[in-house]
Amino acid sequence: MSIVHHPADELLLSYAAGATDEATSLIVATHLALCPRCRSTVAKAEAAGGALLEAADSTPLSSGALKSVMSRLTEPERMASPALRAPSNVPEPLRSYVGDDLGAIRWTSIAGGISFKPLFKSGAARAQLIRSKPGAGVGLHTHAGEEFTLCLSGGYTDVTGQYARGDLQSTTPDVLHRPLADEGEDCIVLAVSDAPLVFQNLGIALIAKWFGF
Amino acid sequence: MTALLATVGAKRDRAAFEILFVYFAPRVKSYLLRLGANAALADDLAQEAMLTVWRKAEMFDPAKASASTWVFTIARNLRIDAIRRERRPEFDPNDPAFVPEEEPQPDDRMVRDGEDARLREALTKLSADQAQVVQLSFFADKPHSQIARELGLPLGTVKSRLRLAMARIKAVLGDET
Repeated sequence: MSIVHHPADELLLSYAAGATDEATSLIVATHLALCPRCRSTVAKAEAAGGALLEAADSTPLSSGALKSVMSRLTEPERMASPALRAPSNVPEPLRSYVGDDLGAIRWTSIAGGISFKPLFKSGAARAQLIRSKPGAGVGLHTHAGEEFTLCLSGGYTDVTGQYARGDLQSTTPDVLHRPLADEGEDCIVLAVSDAPLVFQNLGIALIAKWFGF
Repeated sequence: MTALLATVGAKRDRAAFEILFVYFAPRVKSYLLRLGANAALADDLAQEAMLTVWRKAEMFDPAKASASTWVFTIARNLRIDAIRRERRPEFDPNDPAFVPEEEPQPDDRMVRDGEDARLREALTKLSADQAQVVQLSFFADKPHSQIARELGLPLGTVKSRLRLAMARIKAVLGDET
């Protein structure tokens, strides 16, 4: 199945520039592993980075720098031994953060068929995995900031469309949605947000706050 | 420079590497200084970047990127690691879950003659507004929200300027997507 929802070009440019935080870079790069089209865009933005580097001023290196580097060329290389890769449907770089089996993750269950697994924070951005049972949904909410969601398995649907493996959704405070997991298998997504969700329902809001959701 | 880098990869040619060093190391040092490294760190990291160029040169594919693009990605990853002290998540083409292109596209990312020069020229012709946000992305480590705050612009304006700049870059490099 081909990917329908892609990261915006300006996000791919920032990723290529190295200006996105680690959590945002993780979700973009995991999408890239699944999406040849966006890899092509990133390669072009990196070519712009190369052109900017060529156009940069020259700052002379310390005297002896060239000689020092030339003398180190024969140093034995510290090559990382290639990691043994079990068959897995978790693509790198996400696999380095969560392991190669989404089934082995220890989820924290909250109400209504939703579980989550916090991963890490980088700056204001927080990365977590969210699992929804078929037909389960995260209540109607909006976002205080930007949120990116990458579908890893199963699928979900909201007012903006249907999302399956590899699809990346970007939401901003003006999007009010109630994502519902499609029927069939569990829906697992990687979510990165720079502010907590804003729930319309007070009960859900309290639960979410309690879990740091 | 691209042919020289390919030679370093194929033959471990020290003389070719020396030319690459003289050309790229001072530019990489400027890049690192602009991104917040002090002079000593920028010097060390520029040397480290060039050592990485030597060590990884075998993996360089001149059909996919020019030397400057490839050196840029090495310098970028080194500075994220050393200055920002974060990991740089990247995809791995050898990963079993990696989705390759459906059919090889021989012409897809071939670096065409003169492409580098045309790209440099196109970048100098960006509008001042677009050039500013591109510079802040590549040389100041600023995500969209921070650019918006510092320039006092709506987030949407920053994004649309970057999007337009990206459209220009794609236009020069051939937009098959």
